[in-house]
Amino acid sequence: MAVLRDTLGRWRARPAPGLVLLSPVLAILALMTIGPAFFIFARSVFNTDLMNPGSGRFVGLTNYANVVTNPDVWHDLGNTLLFVCAAVALELCFGLLLAILLSQKLLESNLVAGLLILPMAMTPAVSALIWRELLDPNFGWVSYYLQAWHVTADPIAWLSNTNTSWIALVGLNVWQWTPFVALILLAGLQGIPLEPKEAAAVDGANAWQAFLHITLPMLRPFIAIALLLRVIDAFKTFDAIQILTGGGPGTSTEVINLMIYRVALQDFNVGAASALGVCFLLVLAFVVQQLIRILSRSTDVLED
Amino acid sequence: MSKPTLSRRDALKLGAGTVAALAAVPAPSALASSLGRLGGAKPSQLRILYTTVEADVDAIKLVIPDFKKELGIDLKLDSMPYNALQQKVFAELASSSSYYDIIIVDTPWMPALTHKIQPLTDYVLNKQLSGSLLDLQDFISKVFYDTAVYHPDRSYLHFPSTGTIDPAAIKHAGFDIFGLPIQANALTMSYRKDLFNDSANKAAFKSKFGRPLTVPTTWSEFKQVATFFTRPGQRLFGTTLMAGTGDWATDDFKSLLASWGGDGHLVNDKFQPAFNSAAGVAALTYYADLINTSKVTPPGVTSFSWDEAASTFDAGLTAMSMNYHTEALNSNVKGTLDYAMVPHGVSAGPHFGTWMLSVNPYSKNREWAYQGIVWLTSRTAQSKMLQTQLHPTRHSVYKEALSSPVTSKFGSFYKVLEASLSVGVGRPRLRNYADVDQAVWVAVNNAARGSATPKAALASAASKVTSLLHQAGYK
Repeated sequence: MAVLRDTLGRWRARPAPGLVLLSPVLAILALMTIGPAFFIFARSVFNTDLMNPGSGRFVGLTNYANVVTNPDVWHDLGNTLLFVCAAVALELCFGLLLAILLSQKLLESNLVAGLLILPMAMTPAVSALIWRELLDPNFGWVSYYLQAWHVTADPIAWLSNTNTSWIALVGLNVWQWTPFVALILLAGLQGIPLEPKEAAAVDGANAWQAFLHITLPMLRPFIAIALLLRVIDAFKTFDAIQILTGGGPGTSTEVINLMIYRVALQDFNVGAASALGVCFLLVLAFVVQQLIRILSRSTDVLED
Repeated sequence: MSKPTLSRRDALKLGAGTVAALAAVPAPSALASSLGRLGGAKPSQLRILYTTVEADVDAIKLVIPDFKKELGIDLKLDSMPYNALQQKVFAELASSSSYYDIIIVDTPWMPALTHKIQPLTDYVLNKQLSGSLLDLQDFISKVFYDTAVYHPDRSYLHFPSTGTIDPAAIKHAGFDIFGLPIQANALTMSYRKDLFNDSANKAAFKSKFGRPLTVPTTWSEFKQVATFFTRPGQRLFGTTLMAGTGDWATDDFKSLLASWGGDGHLVNDKFQPAFNSAAGVAALTYYADLINTSKVTPPGVTSFSWDEAASTFDAGLTAMSMNYHTEALNSNVKGTLDYAMVPHGVSAGPHFGTWMLSVNPYSKNREWAYQGIVWLTSRTAQSKMLQTQLHPTRHSVYKEALSSPVTSKFGSFYKVLEASLSVGVGRPRLRNYADVDQAVWVAVNNAARGSATPKAALASAASKVTSLLHQAGYK
């Protein structure tokens, strides 16, 4: 009894352990994220079909074997990676340019920064619908002005051709999310002290050299954050692609999310969709992990 | 779609027509007794889950007050667009929710739902429950069998349609009735009547082709007429098609496939692709040629869905179009239009797809819900629903539509729709139809864009469909 009394006394005297303080957050996380994740892992080894009472049989790794041996999955995964690489690379380039322009502290900068938020504030589905109308070869503004300005002789059927469909798809994502990158980088630019630049100028460095050897290195942590957030978000893109191209023409812009949607929410084949989701999660986790590893070499922001 | 305003003359005609229609159907007081009698407490409300424009939600809204008057029950309506509706219906049924009493079901969903929807055959056979309002023989039998009759355990089977609707025979064969059809959509052709009647066009066509300019009834005539009207300099093209990536491209192709003598169901009873055949290749070659060789379609047709097809025709860009509903030319297009059946080849089989009202098996008011759908699909209700352009499922309502001032502004549409439904071909009954559908529309789109030959595109799709059917357990 004395031992127990001592233990309780010590426990009362100590401040509340971190785990106790974190428990509400952990409970929510477990309920909203960890629980569903485990459910998806569990379902992926069953042939669960929500509408088929005979389903729900344990099938081991059959669903995974179907995923790995399905050439459409690899095709869609390739498209997903292409989309992410093209969109995020362009967003970083344009975002950096835009951030530099906005950091010049011109009178118009605040107004432009305010306007920049507009594309981000728009629901991706609505943006895609508007772009679809704009690109319509018969009634859209894009074709109309391209012909009116004699850039093209005939209307361009943007969404009927593989290359132009990709341009439209990547263009929409870049238009919508470049401001997001620009705002992050603008915050970084505004935090860079003036002294190193002034010292470089005294030493005879020109503007390009100062940008390359001072601004860019000091901006790396912000570039890393923007890159990570955009890669994760671009991987998850679904609605804009579904509405703008529907994966077409043919299957040339079909990404893995469209396939998961079809299997899960049109076929209601939960087992197969879960296996697809788990594989996609593993790919995404691998890509993000590699990105963090590479980026943390040059910046300490992402360490720990 | 813009709706023209009614002139006083039209309003008077409408009034006269309504009086005539009311005289032709049982009076409201008689209607209540036309339904069967039910024991048990009457619910104060029935909840219905419905679609939006796809099955004309305005039609349901229109008759809600009558429903209350006739059945003494409030009808609470929830409606949502196609994709959201499908997910909602499946989620409600998967979770055994009793919230909705009546649920609208699209035909491609049913193969997965035969164990989740209340079978109604016993209700239908129970004369006390059904009453005289049901009048089963009045339904278009092809529509009824394709929409509502399924084998619960072998949902891929089609009941051999006999022309008459016999619930006892259905039950005897192990099938069940799972709902009552409410909206019947079929592929029909619309055309610019003013262009076809134009004397200069008539003379030019006669001089060029040596025959009078008429609305095409065969696919060879269709190509000829479409070529004649294609004048890109005047922003006029022969026809729209729905060759974009989506269900619409499959539907276009299966209509042509049936015309060329192939099996419009796409998959045969042995679970083999039925489209990779000589008929299929010829049909798809014709389709692709319209776009790439004859060039009778407007720019961007290989990304068209039914929405773009409608907006392009309505804007006066094409002389002909094929779609699933009435059209309305934009106000700046000075022209008139009418409808005809989609051309035929050695055979005919325009695509059709129908919606039915079903009873939620988890509802606490199943028998009342059944009576609700009997009333909602009755001749009385469907007649009134013509005002909002319902596509009826009953012969008597089509007969009425032919002389009704309410539908006269749609020209021959209802006549054409009924005729199209009687020869239409539905979809294959597969649980994974969404995947099969995609494989076919990708082939159609690839051939239409010229990125693959029709033969290669169909061979690739057939191989994929075989694999999909095998994976889904169809052997």
